[in-house]
Amino acid sequence: MNITANEVLDAKGLSCPMPIVKTKKAISNLKAGEVIEVQATDQGSTADIKAWSESTGHQYIGTVEDGDVLKHYIRVASEAEKKDEIKHETVIDVTELRAKVDGKEAISILDVREPAEFAFGHIPGATNIPLGELQTSIDELNKQDELYVICRTGSRSDLAAQKLTEQGFKHVINVVPGMTEWEGPLNHDN
Amino acid sequence: MATTKVAIIASNGGLFDAYKVFNLATAAAASDAEVGIFFTFEGLNLIHKESHKNLPLPEGKEHFASGFKQANAPSIEELLTIAQELDVKMLACQMTMDVLKLEKDQFIDGIEVAGAASFIEYAKDASMTLTF
Repeated sequence: MNITANEVLDAKGLSCPMPIVKTKKAISNLKAGEVIEVQATDQGSTADIKAWSESTGHQYIGTVEDGDVLKHYIRVASEAEKKDEIKHETVIDVTELRAKVDGKEAISILDVREPAEFAFGHIPGATNIPLGELQTSIDELNKQDELYVICRTGSRSDLAAQKLTEQGFKHVINVVPGMTEWEGPLNHDN
Repeated sequence: MATTKVAIIASNGGLFDAYKVFNLATAAAASDAEVGIFFTFEGLNLIHKESHKNLPLPEGKEHFASGFKQANAPSIEELLTIAQELDVKMLACQMTMDVLKLEKDQFIDGIEVAGAASFIEYAKDASMTLTF
């Protein structure tokens, strides 16, 4: 799996609590939406990094084992995201989207998560444009399409849905809550 | 997200005690918790300028020294520095200092000297209180 991170932190050979202490320091220099790769050899670090993300509100994306090295991926959350205000009016439950996908309906799915999250699993056929790049990549999308916008929990996709509607997209539907509840087929990048 | 508040009482002065106290304190502070440690009786060794650099292992457990090295555990000095960088509040017990005839300048910089009531005031709304 090839995953791009904004920052790579070397915590190899360090024992508890150093991997999370170093992660805490490194993340304070990153912007919301950026992804950090934490390399550790401490076997307890997977559980610790998950728990740390839970406590701090940042998003644990996943871990890849590379020989003896554990590579943990974390996405830096923004303050707004932690508040979780949903505003875009047209929404669809993720199970209803699943029915459309299973029924092979010709629909467009836009996944606005970061490429690293997308790589760990996405709905087959979905297009990936991270929320931060939506403005510059908006021409890749068709304004007349029925566009299902999805992220992890529904807050980034809500912001994206609002932005697309502002830009003249006619049929934008926010998928709630998002990939956290998706139980259908997944594609992984190899 | 509501802030987690951790209150720790450190009342023993060995190397094992120091790791228990400082590992949890730095892990909690790195997880955005507010952390305060009250050092009392032998626990004062952990912040004494000289003593904290050379804390004893329990009798008969001296052979664990190599285990700390192999696990690449940070030194107590390192953990103390990290704790201070993460704004862990450190209170030295006034009463113990009086009894043992210790002065504030014998301790590392950045600590506060306080009585039991100050710690109780700090700990009364803590999410958890840990004793070592």
